[in-house]
Amino acid sequence: MKHGWFYLIGFALLMSFDTLAQISFKYAGDHALPVSADIAWLLRVFGAPWIYGAIIGYIGSFFTWMSLLKYAPIGPAFAASHLEVVSVMLLSVWLFNEHLTPVRLIGAALIIAGIVCLGFAESREAPAEPAADADPA
Amino acid sequence: MPTGGISPLVILLWVLNVMFDTTGQLAFKAAAGDDRAGDGVARWKYMASRPWLWLGIGCYIFEFLVWIAFLSLIPLSEGVLLGSINIVAIMIAGRFLFAEKLTRLRVIGIALVTLGVAVVGFAE
Repeated sequence: MKHGWFYLIGFALLMSFDTLAQISFKYAGDHALPVSADIAWLLRVFGAPWIYGAIIGYIGSFFTWMSLLKYAPIGPAFAASHLEVVSVMLLSVWLFNEHLTPVRLIGAALIIAGIVCLGFAESREAPAEPAADADPA
Repeated sequence: MPTGGISPLVILLWVLNVMFDTTGQLAFKAAAGDDRAGDGVARWKYMASRPWLWLGIGCYIFEFLVWIAFLSLIPLSEGVLLGSINIVAIMIAGRFLFAEKLTRLRVIGIALVTLGVAVVGFAE
């Protein structure tokens, strides 16, 4: 686990940025209704402050992601980054008065189980770090 | 159609989101995984001089707009679950383009995520 802390901090940062972005996206979209493929909709989206929270989340997530991708295979890294599903669902109950219906909870449990499987697949298959060739530490 | 408001427009936005996300992610992988890129600032300069990074950014901008429209039409807790299908799309695409392995455990993971998305999509 030479990159253990790097992954942990990286993924925590990624999850925070992703959560901020999703919450902001929802606010931005709700304030821009009705949906239409035109300038009026874009003006409504960009005329409210929410979109800028989403942009901060996106940019933060982008740079965190690009730094992580250099070391992690794309599939499992992407899967790990999707654990934001949990934080976003919990916050949506509080912020948007949504209900965690049985269907959503079952769906979420299946999806999280799938993500955990993908994480295990990663740790089982990751080849032992090629003995720190350029790194005497 | 079930009563939960998954309209044809929602489905169209969902499909567009998967397409832009998958193309964008693969473009970023092509940019970041290039061994000739070097390190630090030189790495970013190298990536900026080649098309992959910009293709990825272009896809992200469209995905951004499509996703806002999508989320405004359904509850956020449902939207993030349906968006998890991106995990499946990206893994299958990575298998074909970067020869990343699809082992049994990964296939099980992909099946579970797909099932979860299907449960939410069809039942709501």
